[in-house]
Amino acid sequence: MKINENCVGCGQCASFCKKGAIEVKGKARVTDACVDCGICMLYCPVKAIEVPA
Amino acid sequence: MKAIIIGAGLGGLLSAARLSKAGYEVEVYERLPITGGRFTNLNYKGFQLSSGAFHILPHGPSGPLAQFLNEIGANVEIVRSETTTVRVPLKKGIPDYGKGFKDISFSDFSTLLSHKDRLKIAFLIVSTRKNRPSGFTLQTWLRTQVKDEWLVKFADAFCGWALSLRSDEVPVEEIFEIIENMYRFGGPGVPIGGCKGVIDALESVIATYGGKIHTGTEVLKIFMEGGKAAGVLIGEEVHKADLIVSNLGHVATACLCEEALSGEKNSGYLQKLETLKPSAGIKICLAADEPLVGHTGVLLTPYAKRVNGIDEVTQVDPGLAPPGKHLTMSHQYVAPENVKNLEAEIELGLQDLKEIFPGKKYEVLLIQSYHDSWPVNRAASGTDPGNETPIPGLYVVGDGAKGRGGIEVEGVALGVTATMKKILG
Ligand SMILES: Cc1cc2nc3c(=O)[nH]c(=O)nc-3n(C[C@H](O)[C@H](O)[C@H](O)COP(=O)(O)OP(=O)(O)OC[C@H]3O[C@@H](n4cnc5c(N)ncnc54)[C@H](O)[C@@H]3O)c2cc1C
Ligand code: SF4
Ligand code: SF4
Repeated sequence: MKINENCVGCGQCASFCKKGAIEVKGKARVTDACVDCGICMLYCPVKAIEVPA
Repeated sequence: MKAIIIGAGLGGLLSAARLSKAGYEVEVYERLPITGGRFTNLNYKGFQLSSGAFHILPHGPSGPLAQFLNEIGANVEIVRSETTTVRVPLKKGIPDYGKGFKDISFSDFSTLLSHKDRLKIAFLIVSTRKNRPSGFTLQTWLRTQVKDEWLVKFADAFCGWALSLRSDEVPVEEIFEIIENMYRFGGPGVPIGGCKGVIDALESVIATYGGKIHTGTEVLKIFMEGGKAAGVLIGEEVHKADLIVSNLGHVATACLCEEALSGEKNSGYLQKLETLKPSAGIKICLAADEPLVGHTGVLLTPYAKRVNGIDEVTQVDPGLAPPGKHLTMSHQYVAPENVKNLEAEIELGLQDLKEIFPGKKYEVLLIQSYHDSWPVNRAASGTDPGNETPIPGLYVVGDGAKGRGGIEVEGVALGVTATMKKILG
């Protein structure tokens, strides 16, 4: 999954990721723990998360 | 009569509750799977962080939001903060907290001025209630009255905390309206359960009166009939209504209207929208075993490099953190030119916290930043175009359409109150 330039760094995605796979500092960054489940994408208020089809 | 509300942020839910109570058939559409927008809780490692706000109502249990909640029968317990304190260096003239500090009460700010300036402030406090200054920014006005940089620092910390602006971005009229509201409504408070305590209570009122909230449902377009707002497009389906209330701010709402706003007669409105500036900020959420702030109110930090103020909501509601832990959150204003350097701004904020809490143990839980389309405020205080749009039957509520002098969610409530008066009479 990919985070695009819309990301504002609000951290909302990090609080819904069950794998603790998102780090946020000004922007979100996905770590190796990500399993591409796509949950975080639903919670992003600015459509910054793209999950590969 | 049917009303459609676009967005289940605070403004949308307040409107939905009021309209459903007045007998409207209400449908709320929210794009995200959760309600509350920038005013709800985010559970993070057992701490109730938030999607935006600091779990603070600027005018506590007697402010416009509390009054609104009371009138519609939303059951929320709001606890008034006991004090607001200001951290200052031990001696005047020292530029930071490095050599020690003391905390003074907010209302004692003038004790740091010279005797002459103190008298001047005492005079201004009385005289400005009758003769309001106008036509300047707060900073320019202060500088014409008192030559003491402490006052500018103090004003910057207050504006940064309360509005996420610098004192040279706030019209002096707006600050005097805010001060008047402080006299009228009193100081801040914390809702039990945090922001979500308010959101849950609103949802329960909406359900009681038969209103419906659809999450995970994005509105793609607002359509018109006979020059009036007539419904919305969701997926491929058209949903009709007599009235539409948008919680998205004026700019995003205008985008949903597409060509309906393109005519010459709307160019003034569209030009006004281009001048609206969302405000940016950074929140750093800390977990600690021992209290860091130590009281139920706000600690302003005018001598920090970036951090404007800090609150510790577990002082009011220990349920917002795991047992025995404190949740402490700092806010810092981000200047427009620094939005592109957020990482550097965050570093400065983290250094500030080390200076503000020397020798204290805490863990940085999450760092959250807000700007542009998900900002601290959609329009800087005192600049928004109100709740109406050029399209009859289409209103805008939320922090892009507040009442004058309304800080944050109090402004959202004032704006919704004004809108409901227009709709319901
Ligand atoms: C860091 C920070 C700290 C703050 N601190 C405080 C504080 O301590 N006290 C205070 O009073 N205020 C505070 N605020 C301000 C306060 O949080 C906001 O003013 C308030 O939450 C804004 O509410 P709103 O009604 O404008 O709705 P928003 O929260 O903006 O909600 C709008 C909703 O509309 C939804 N939406 C968007 N597009 C669509 C679409 N096309 N279809 C359907 N739904 C859509 C969004 O998903 C969202 O849920 C703070 C804000 C931030 C960011
Ligand atoms: S796709 Fe799933 S695992 Fe990966 S970051 Fe998002 S929520 Fe976490
Ligand atoms: S929710 Fe979206 S905007 Fe917020 S940090 Fe995650 S990716 Fe960025």
